[in-house]
Amino acid sequence: MASAPFGPDPTPLTIDALTVMYGEHLAVDRLGFSVRAGEIYGLLGSNGAGKSSTIKSIVGLVRPTHGSVRVFGFDAVRQSLATKERVGYVPETSLLYEALTPREFLEFVASVRRLDATTASARSKSYAEAFRLEGEFEEPIASLSNGTRQKVLIIAALLHQPPLLVLDEPLNSLDPRSVRIMKEVLARYVASSGRGVLFSTHTMEVAQQLCHRVGILDRGVLRAEGTLAALRERAAAGDASLEEVFLRLTREDEGLDLAVRALEGV
Amino acid sequence: MGWRDAWWISGVAFTELSLQAIYAFRQGNLLPAGPARELAAKARRRVIQSKIVVAVVLGLLAAGACLLLEISARVVGTPFFGVFVSPEVFQTCVLTALLAVEMAFLWWTGLQVIPTYLASGVLPVLEPLPIDDATLGRAAGLLYLRLFDLPAAMVLITTPLFVAWTLGLAAGLAVVPGTVAAVGFALALALITGRFFVRRVQGSRGGGGRTALRWAYLVLWVLPAFAMFGLVVAAPGFLAIVGRTVELGPSAARDGLVAIFPFTFAALPALANAGPGVFGLDRAGTTILVVAAAVYVGIAAWSILWLMVSVRRLGLAPPLVPAEAPAARYTLAPERPAVAVLTKDLRIASRMPGYAFLVIFPILDAVAIGLFTFVAGPGSTGAFDLALAAVSTAALLATFFGPAFFAIEVLAYSYGRTLPLPDRFIILGKVALVALIYLLAGGIVLGLTLPRVFLPGLFAAFIAAELPAVLAASLLELGILFRRARAKGLPIVNLYSGGYYAVFVAIPGAVVAGLPLVAYRILAAGSTSVAIAAMGLIALAELVACAPFSLGVRGGRDA
Repeated sequence: MASAPFGPDPTPLTIDALTVMYGEHLAVDRLGFSVRAGEIYGLLGSNGAGKSSTIKSIVGLVRPTHGSVRVFGFDAVRQSLATKERVGYVPETSLLYEALTPREFLEFVASVRRLDATTASARSKSYAEAFRLEGEFEEPIASLSNGTRQKVLIIAALLHQPPLLVLDEPLNSLDPRSVRIMKEVLARYVASSGRGVLFSTHTMEVAQQLCHRVGILDRGVLRAEGTLAALRERAAAGDASLEEVFLRLTREDEGLDLAVRALEGV
Repeated sequence: MGWRDAWWISGVAFTELSLQAIYAFRQGNLLPAGPARELAAKARRRVIQSKIVVAVVLGLLAAGACLLLEISARVVGTPFFGVFVSPEVFQTCVLTALLAVEMAFLWWTGLQVIPTYLASGVLPVLEPLPIDDATLGRAAGLLYLRLFDLPAAMVLITTPLFVAWTLGLAAGLAVVPGTVAAVGFALALALITGRFFVRRVQGSRGGGGRTALRWAYLVLWVLPAFAMFGLVVAAPGFLAIVGRTVELGPSAARDGLVAIFPFTFAALPALANAGPGVFGLDRAGTTILVVAAAVYVGIAAWSILWLMVSVRRLGLAPPLVPAEAPAARYTLAPERPAVAVLTKDLRIASRMPGYAFLVIFPILDAVAIGLFTFVAGPGSTGAFDLALAAVSTAALLATFFGPAFFAIEVLAYSYGRTLPLPDRFIILGKVALVALIYLLAGGIVLGLTLPRVFLPGLFAAFIAAELPAVLAASLLELGILFRRARAKGLPIVNLYSGGYYAVFVAIPGAVVAGLPLVAYRILAAGSTSVAIAAMGLIALAELVACAPFSLGVRGGRDA
């Protein structure tokens, strides 16, 4: 890409030798990958693989122990404000101001993002109607279901049309209709010039449908990275599904049959 | 399973509640690194520390009241609004105020805890386990009592002890039913009002009209607690009323008085020491008092039993159920970031009685003291001093706002940290809210006292001179709390989980807000104008010193 409208570097996300430690526990170990412009990058991994720690390092919730995270060339630690202006984030859990209504919450986010009233209202209306939030838009968030809270978080992340979307298990709790809408939104989103999406999930089917490239994270280490075809080739998995490829590359298929058989007597 | 199992289960649930209250991980905060056992122990310790702080405050209240009881013999020669009262009437009035304040304080602290208790989900986790209904109910009740154990024990033990020490053993024993009733009522009121507000206030839909209705509900809720505070503020007037009523001899007014809680119980120590003749009570009056006391003790006992049943139901019921909604309004009206923080805090406070209390209290205090100036003659020094006292109280109360508004920020703290919102905007938004409340309180006093106090310019100057000190105090407190949060990732969620730090930062805040007021007191004897000028200069110097400390906070959002 010739121009870099979102920052000094056209690459939406560059992670280099990222290490995250919680006390003595090593959560992410010298991780390196990038999300290219126009790309949906899927970060796959089992529970505890380090996906959320990686994402929290990008959005400023966790300070990297070593290494760097750059968003369009801005350092996520030293230039956190510039980074946060360019990122839309959907957390894994529904972290919201429970005493506010979705409208009040989105109004606060729009204010912090310095959006004008016309733009903010038009976008909130489009997304709220698409996600069928009309019945809950004025209810306190505390009274909403997990799925509805997730929709509010997704709208909040999209409200300022950020050049980088960072989504931590965004489809959890969503109903099938909203999942379909979300997939459409993401596909159209990266079609816009220069944007990127980082998408963490452990649902292989979703990753297979949505992601241009995937990175397989296992116990904090990037085991493999590439398109599905490239990963199949690496795992010598023929035309296997991403799930098969994932299990082989992370060696989680070892002992799988034994574990299943052991359950038969239970 | 029996009470022993229920006690053990409530202990496990209490640890979980403490962990959630301290680390707020349900609000998305990260648990610090370390073994779970140590984190749980630390959380329990911190909650216990906060309970100790609340208990100590209650103990000091009892000690203060008993210091007043000590001097009761000396007040006989002092007229209150022209009425001479006997030592026994004075003692009864002091104990009435003490029991009222103890109940109000326990009630108010309970309301701080209930939202955390309901949000914790500790009871729904227990429900599917094979625990019989009776044990689960007992465990829920015991868990609720554990929230209040130290403060309640302090009231139940120290009040009779101090009274026995100052007025004798019989008086000490006579005050026991009053303390039991005060504690029982406080615990039940906390649950009833907590449940009401979780449904009607926290669960209220958005929109301008409903916001106004929520604030109206909140004012209604504050009124009883405020009335008890007013009782202390208006103590001389109260003493005069009681003195006059007793002087009247047998009358409906006196019979009514002895039937009103907590006067009924507060009168018992004097009656135990001096007999019914002390209030000139006839047989009817004595009967009314005894029946009223028995009824109140019965209600208190029933309240405790009701608690044991209702706590479980309340903990399990989904607190809020979305109603059928009219057509949504999607219009958003973004504001400047600092204003957005202020608006957000007000909206959150309007659904959280604990925070709303802090916003409403100084305003009601200003109204009450402003009206109280009408007791003094027009243009009198007394009225002017009272008006200044009202503003001074508002300024000192403002020192509690910093920790409270910081606590609002802790809600969804993790999400807030991912937004491009520098800490200085958050601090400025909260300081603006503190200033707004102070100025509103000052303005109310000014408006109410305008016809009585003929020095509006001077009075306005006093309000303006103190304003920089109020700003400086809030800035200092918020600066300390944000630095602490940055360094330790410490969330301060409510009075029980963060009482220790709330008190810690309120002390320097009170010093900063109080210094110009002290300077005024010292210099006012010479010249009021000079005193106000000096006060303003000190306040400005404090603001200049505190602002860089707070607005220079650097961290995740600013770096």
